[in-house]
Amino acid sequence: MLWVDGVVAGYHEGIDVLRGVTLRVEARRVTAVIGPNGAGKSTLLRVVFGLLAPRRGRVVFDGHDIQELPPDTRKRRGIGYVPQGTSTFPQMTVEETLRVGGWTIRHDRARLRDRIAHVYDLFPVLAQLRRVRAGVLSGGQLRMLAIAKELVVMPSLPLVDEPTAGLAPRIADDVYRLLERARELGIAVMLVDQNIAEAVALADHVCVMALGRVQRAGPRESVAADLRILVQEALIGTGG
Amino acid sequence: MDATLLTQYALAGLVIGAIYCLMAVGITFIYSVMRMINWAMGEFYMIGGYVQYLLIADWLGPDRWYLALPLAIAGVGALGMVVQRVLLRPMFAGGIERLDEYATIVTISLTVLFRNLAVVIFGPYQFSPRDYAPPVQLGPLPVNGSRFVAFLGAAALLGLFAWVVRRTWFGLAIRSVAQNRVGALCAGIDLSRIDMLAFGIGVALAGAAGALLAPVFLVYPQSGALSTVKGFEIIVIGGLGSLGGSIVGGLLLGLVESLGSVLISPAFRDVYGFGLLVLILALRPTGLWGERAREA
Repeated sequence: MLWVDGVVAGYHEGIDVLRGVTLRVEARRVTAVIGPNGAGKSTLLRVVFGLLAPRRGRVVFDGHDIQELPPDTRKRRGIGYVPQGTSTFPQMTVEETLRVGGWTIRHDRARLRDRIAHVYDLFPVLAQLRRVRAGVLSGGQLRMLAIAKELVVMPSLPLVDEPTAGLAPRIADDVYRLLERARELGIAVMLVDQNIAEAVALADHVCVMALGRVQRAGPRESVAADLRILVQEALIGTGG
Repeated sequence: MDATLLTQYALAGLVIGAIYCLMAVGITFIYSVMRMINWAMGEFYMIGGYVQYLLIADWLGPDRWYLALPLAIAGVGALGMVVQRVLLRPMFAGGIERLDEYATIVTISLTVLFRNLAVVIFGPYQFSPRDYAPPVQLGPLPVNGSRFVAFLGAAALLGLFAWVVRRTWFGLAIRSVAQNRVGALCAGIDLSRIDMLAFGIGVALAGAAGALLAPVFLVYPQSGALSTVKGFEIIVIGGLGSLGGSIVGGLLLGLVESLGSVLISPAFRDVYGFGLLVLILALRPTGLWGERAREA
């Protein structure tokens, strides 16, 4: 469903963060992208969502080249993005935040109402906090809200960046249980995570990145066996 | 000094203050959404004044003055959108990275360009459309008709603005962009379009102030300079990024200028505002409602 083909990208002239990344994300599968700091995982998600234009290479989604499209168009095509850090609005209530999440379907009022009700079913905690401003929510609630916001318009491929960074272990667990439900919902997930053990346990496919390249990719079983070695190599820098 | 006269001056101050509010709300609105200061705000004010003058003096005639304001606002807003589209959008090229000094350089250059264009097109003369509305009696107080219209116009525009920002989908999108650009992008909001519209609306508010004040103050190429300064005075008094602060600050500035003129001396009219500014800075450096720490 998603095919990243030879992507080279970076933020500054002459410095490539991604140095020719090629990978596939299959429909209805959770693909975990793991690797050490600076491997280019988050940058890869930014390129897929369109926040950063690749210098070379293609991004193909559902059979169409999308590397030229702006983020809002990609969102309409079915790519969702939950960035690292906050993507919610401190002065807005939970309800308002979800309405922003439903921006692309705002003209279909009935559908928007249904979708928001559905999201409240998925996140009963948020239903109780409807009228509360995001600025006063706890870190875990905020992360829930950030994910819930991107589910109002159900993406076929959510890109999730470090969903549990900075969360208490119990709340992190809740987030992972939620990601597991992606299969029930019939959607693919591209997950970037520092928490390798959890991410691999959750994933169907694992992709190991280091220094801007994909070192190894495949079904979980084939990669998991020598994961420790791969990560060690990547950290020491002999993997490249 | 008798109470009636004092009330009259206070009222006159509030009328001017309401129009200052338009300027300040425009500046703070553009800042909130795009995180840039538009230094050319006063020049859009000046253009609004010229458009109003031309519409009333030449194109429409004084009888159809009520059409002039919406046309002046729309014209300045459209110009603002073109400026944003052509000159400011490159600032945001490359996703969310941006150059802060870019907006400063572009908008300061615009002030020079617009002032000199005004001199070339209209000459260095001062214009003023005739008073179009008859005087109004407010209780025992007679009020200049054009000023009264200006006050009502400013109040109506501020009300409309608040309604759009608080109650509409467009307003929701604007607020989301102001609070978290990446978050808005994730929701599928087209940031470049919102930026363009926000810039257009912000400068249209300045244009409206210029148009409403055209019969009160004079219209000339440098007329924007002082209004930019006053706009920033209000922003510092009320706090950058606060709409409520801009409105209270604007009214306060109008009041202080007017009462200072009558109680002390009209010669120092523009000094009283700065006095208030220095006082506020000494007591509350973030302004009355300023953001203490920037979020996101």
